[in-house]
Amino acid sequence: MKELRDLARKLLADGDAGVVIGWEEGRRGARPAFITTPDDADKLIFDARCVHNLANYLNPRKPQVKALGKPAVVVKGCDAKAVAGLLREAQLTRDRVILIGVRCGGVVQTPEMPAELTEATVATRCYGCDVREPKLVDHLVGDAQPEPPVTAALDRRIAELDALSPQERWQFWTGQLAKCTRCHACRQACPLCHCERCITDKTQPQWIESSSHLRGNFAWHLTRAQHLAGRCVGCGECERACPVGIPLSLINRKLQLVVKDLFDYTVTDDPEVPAPIGAYAVDDRQEFIE
Amino acid sequence: MSAAPDKRPTPKGKGTKGAAPAAAAGAAATAVAGAALCLTEENLGKLVAEIVAGGTRLVAPAREPQAGVGGSADYRYISSAAELAFGDSLPRMSLKGFFLPQSEVLFKWHRKGADVEIEAVPTEFPPQIVLGARPCDTAALEIVDQVMDWGLRDELWFGRRDATTIFNLSCPVEDASCFCHAVGLNPDATRAADGMLTPVPGGYLVETCTEKGAALIEGHKALFESGDTGAAAQRSKAAAQYRADARAKVAADLQIDTTRIKEWVGDHFDDDFWTALGPRCNGCAACASVCPTCHCFDIVDEPEGVGHGARRRNWDTCQTGVFTLHASGHNPRADQNSRFRQRVNHKFFIYPSRFGEVLCTGCGRCSRVCPEGQDLAEVLACIDELARA
Amino acid sequence: MDFQPRITAFVCNWCTYTGADLAGTSRLQMAANVRIIRLPCTGRIDHMFIVKAFERGADGVIVSGCHPADCHYTAGNYHARRRFGVFRELMDFMGIDPRRVTFSWVSASEGVKWKDVVNETVARVAELGPFDAYHELAGDTITGGEPAPDPFEAASGAETPDPLEAHEVGR
Repeated sequence: MKELRDLARKLLADGDAGVVIGWEEGRRGARPAFITTPDDADKLIFDARCVHNLANYLNPRKPQVKALGKPAVVVKGCDAKAVAGLLREAQLTRDRVILIGVRCGGVVQTPEMPAELTEATVATRCYGCDVREPKLVDHLVGDAQPEPPVTAALDRRIAELDALSPQERWQFWTGQLAKCTRCHACRQACPLCHCERCITDKTQPQWIESSSHLRGNFAWHLTRAQHLAGRCVGCGECERACPVGIPLSLINRKLQLVVKDLFDYTVTDDPEVPAPIGAYAVDDRQEFIE
Repeated sequence: MSAAPDKRPTPKGKGTKGAAPAAAAGAAATAVAGAALCLTEENLGKLVAEIVAGGTRLVAPAREPQAGVGGSADYRYISSAAELAFGDSLPRMSLKGFFLPQSEVLFKWHRKGADVEIEAVPTEFPPQIVLGARPCDTAALEIVDQVMDWGLRDELWFGRRDATTIFNLSCPVEDASCFCHAVGLNPDATRAADGMLTPVPGGYLVETCTEKGAALIEGHKALFESGDTGAAAQRSKAAAQYRADARAKVAADLQIDTTRIKEWVGDHFDDDFWTALGPRCNGCAACASVCPTCHCFDIVDEPEGVGHGARRRNWDTCQTGVFTLHASGHNPRADQNSRFRQRVNHKFFIYPSRFGEVLCTGCGRCSRVCPEGQDLAEVLACIDELARA
Repeated sequence: MDFQPRITAFVCNWCTYTGADLAGTSRLQMAANVRIIRLPCTGRIDHMFIVKAFERGADGVIVSGCHPADCHYTAGNYHARRRFGVFRELMDFMGIDPRRVTFSWVSASEGVKWKDVVNETVARVAELGPFDAYHELAGDTITGGEPAPDPFEAASGAETPDPLEAHEVGR
């Protein structure tokens, strides 16, 4: 992608950025790239395999990335929403990052797959995407892309689960969460999980047991979902990172739907719009309260 | 036909009872001569049924039982042949969890007035059988045996090891991320295995490696056929071809010298190589979860109510920030560069220095599962090249 | 003997706790299964309080505080309302029966309402039965998702007296 490479080369040569964070060709498909010299700018690529949410590298608790200098990050729309989250939560100041938006036509489910978008290969995150041309940007590169293939598979699956009894849902989730090894890949892959000390690592007192039995796992996943409510951008990286295949997107997407229903809120790439949890309205819904 | 010798020199230190007997370095031929039998697909099903009916727990690659959630095979306890997924991909997780469970009770305590009563867990386990283990997963067990018997013998680990009979499935090689060959193993290695199944037309060539393996066959001998010499010869030929093809395939993936790598890693602790490699890693530890040889654990005391609770050990990983966080707040590995370096360091320098072999069986899972595209084979190839320069 | 559910109630100091106290001084007849934990405000109540109560043996939970516009700290209950609006749906989605948790606004003068909240919750949870599914989550797990036989078959009965054991109603 010549436009992107030229821009990266220029930013680095002019000293505007210390590192350009984008994608390159890896041994098993596309993968994040950290370009620190103008010559390496030619490594940068962008295609439907560029699944990774690069906003994750803007987490202030990553000294090894900070050490590379002022970042210029290539962001798809969903990634830009995550950057907005970081800005909203004061984890980043706008002038400390350069955002290179890229026009996106959807991504495939994993970076190893061929870059062919079909209903079967498109990532669930692309459903209903409203940021194919990201707005939170300093530069915008790439040609306009066609709409991604539509698949409402995730919402359908959620509807199926909603139609079950709590007991049946319990069976489903105990089966899934029993696999959890508490590696916390879901947390590490998530740009919005940026706490200096995650609550699950705290021991004085310990609210969430660190053991990977179901009791600890339920506490962890309930907490992570709750803490992400209204903040999750739906990038699906947590599910992709999970080494044991827990369908985390179901939980996070469910809460996106809940937050939409209760507070008429959809996550946005405008950092000025406040997140729903932490705010309130005097006439918020309360049918569940006696 | 005997299983081809494992390339890996036998380790210093003790193995377990019933494991492949340690032979002279470099020549660990382990099959029992003349014990080549055949197990048809149909009889494999019957074998599963007989084992399960006999009350012995059976582990095998199987598909996830819940509908609509991916299709990966995993090692699971199975109760019927219908669950078997021999021909599928490499199981997502290794066999490690059956010997070092991801969360395990070490003892329970009960407070009685001013006293505390400790209830220890048993260290003897009911017998269990693993059918269709990949050689990289099985060999890993013997590599980890060394640290589990280092200074203090881990009775829970060895209790499970002793109780388990493992039959490998000769591996067709998953993909280009496999590199068992490069770390001294092979897709048909029998290290730590009690027997081996090699796919041949119509079923599997069966060989035993240990007395335990022979005992399993003996217990179900009606299901195993030797057939006439013609058929046997044909099977041998097919099996040999299968194995040779697999070996050639994996040998092409990575050519390195682990001794050279060990020296380089030991001498280049502060090299820029790590600062170039580390930023991509997000510290997710998915690699450690799926790794057959990663074995670090954390110990916690968990109250379960008033006056009683359990001490547990849980899988832990050097990839997290808190792994080396001191109570003072100091952290000797305060960034991901040093933590990623540690993983490579432990596996390819520290463990070989202490135990004589790398802490890796080349299964490639870490590369497959890494969400950010870190590739261990690539890392090793780079280091090997730097070491040669 | 009929099943006696254990209910943990997280209530705010200024409204519900005072209302519960009024129910007591008014000698209103109500079920004795509830143990009250007093917080300054419902805004202080984290979702983990509910989860922890279930982990530690509760069969049901009550979360109760001041009516909207009456919060002693102005807006604490508004935050709680949003938080629990979401958490209730999350619990339900994960398979925790929402009928095990009651959310209510009970003011300092609503002793009678507190009595009703308690009695209804106890009756509802008694019908659902003990929440063994949650209490027994931590068996030994071995890869494969199937719990290994627990070496301690008779579970973890404590020798020391359990403070949650229903003791005599001495009112």
